[in-house]
Amino acid sequence: MLLKRIQPMVFQARRLYVDIMFQVMGRALQAVSEVDETVQNEARALPQGLLFEMMVMPEGPRLIVEHIGDGYFHYHGDSAPRPVDLSIQFKHIAHAFLVLSFQEKTSEAFANDRMLVDGDVSYAVRMTRVLNRLETFILPKLIAERAVKEYPASLHLPEKLISAARIYLKVATNFVETARP
Amino acid sequence: MSHKYYEFFCPVKVIAGKAALEHIPYELTGLAAKRPMIVTDKGVRAAGLLDPVIAACEESGLEIVSIYDDVPPDSSTSVVRDIAGIYRQEKCDAIIAVGGGSAIDTGKAVNILVSEGGDDIARYSGAGILKHPLKPFFVVPTTAGTGSEVTAVAVITDEKKGVKLPFTSSFLLPNAAIIDPRMTLTLPPHITAATAMDAMTHATEAFTCMAKNPLSDAYATAAIKKISQSLLNVMDNPKDTEGRLELAQASTMAGIAFSNSMVGLVHSLGHATGAICHLPHGLCMSLYLPYVLEYNLESIREPLGELLLYLEGPEVYSATPASRRAEATISAIRKLRDQLYKRCQLPRTLKETGKVLENQLDHIAEMALDDGSIMFNPKEVTLEDARAVLRRAWA
Ligand SMILES: [Fe+2]
Repeated sequence: MLLKRIQPMVFQARRLYVDIMFQVMGRALQAVSEVDETVQNEARALPQGLLFEMMVMPEGPRLIVEHIGDGYFHYHGDSAPRPVDLSIQFKHIAHAFLVLSFQEKTSEAFANDRMLVDGDVSYAVRMTRVLNRLETFILPKLIAERAVKEYPASLHLPEKLISAARIYLKVATNFVETARP
Repeated sequence: MSHKYYEFFCPVKVIAGKAALEHIPYELTGLAAKRPMIVTDKGVRAAGLLDPVIAACEESGLEIVSIYDDVPPDSSTSVVRDIAGIYRQEKCDAIIAVGGGSAIDTGKAVNILVSEGGDDIARYSGAGILKHPLKPFFVVPTTAGTGSEVTAVAVITDEKKGVKLPFTSSFLLPNAAIIDPRMTLTLPPHITAATAMDAMTHATEAFTCMAKNPLSDAYATAAIKKISQSLLNVMDNPKDTEGRLELAQASTMAGIAFSNSMVGLVHSLGHATGAICHLPHGLCMSLYLPYVLEYNLESIREPLGELLLYLEGPEVYSATPASRRAEATISAIRKLRDQLYKRCQLPRTLKETGKVLENQLDHIAEMALDDGSIMFNPKEVTLEDARAVLRRAWA
């Protein structure tokens, strides 16, 4: 009986969290691309106007960013102005939650068949590295080490990001703590 | 590792061993196929490898309706369209691909067109586009290395756009892979060595990269054991049927392993080097394998150390302290490469290939970073890392 009442709340919370984290990531992608040279260098190899989407199957939350040229990303929220060029799709919201609550690395999620790529794989490889870099910015070192394959030894947080990062990590750590069994 | 999760899938019937080809008619009949078409290349035909396949079918009263023997080394969309046209015209109802990677990929792509309809194979490019099983499809590998007979992938060049189109779907997997030692008996020494090292790399990367899992681990270790026990024997005695069969099976097993757990940086570097310097894939694998393992060492120490048992046997394994096994594994692979160099000059460094210029290394590194398999490498590779590995592999 209790389970029946609690389950929907858990589902709802999870969905809400994934929704919020997509918004956080979308904004952070844009912000990081404005200040971080490593991200810019990765992004520069993408065609200008490339629309990147990360979404949950079948019709779940999504985030869309555009490479507007010269390594800069623009966050479009959850709707695309035209068909997307590259889509990373989680098979289930539970898998998106594992990744977005930093319990499973992005690359691990690929390796574990949690998500699919629709589009050019070489772009997906680049976006995975950008996401890894992003995760090291918006998370404290301890959690980031779990979320990315390697924590860069030479990471200097750009001043502009530090205050924003604090807000993000507050959201994230809260969720990780409560989410862990 | 409570979050560990994996998937494993291999529905291919493996038909292996002595007189395996003679099972083709029975297996085709079991799928209600009566008019098979053979897809192959000129080299296979010239080597006389089609003869036993055709004889095996004719003896059972099964006529091979059509033979297309002009598959190029890098198959293209127009070749696929042409073959599909012949298939329809001749009212064929099954495909038998006989050959290496290119003939097999072509067979997979032709099967898409003749099953789904249309002339434009590019329409089906990508992942998960196919939703239905295709026509009966058999593969007879003539090299022991690629493992394409058990992978759900095909790559076809779109010559008009100058791009390589990937196709991924579990429906591309053949109904059966026929492993007959007669098909690899005449492989020249350097191809035997290079393709076996490709299989060795598939197994080693499958066992040490991020998507490793218990089922693919079992296939990977068994493949490594077979290759290390048989490769040098076959090099010294090319007509060793037993040894040839061992290598062919190892290749299929390594293929099952890596198609379920992916490969890593050796393949990223190898794909880039193949594209830029036109070196054969197996050669690149053999060349880069120890350097990449050294680069990954601290992330893969434990699994890499386990491989010593399959490379060198129980005596060496138990005599080596656990803390030294990973290094000993790399030494064993280097030793094998030295032996192959002695027997057929299979290059061990980029310089030894004589086909790579030192000023191409940066280009190779950049291209490798865009390769899909880099995603599954246990260590996150930066451009600087890739360059460093290439410099070590130079000489
Ligand atoms: Fe390979």
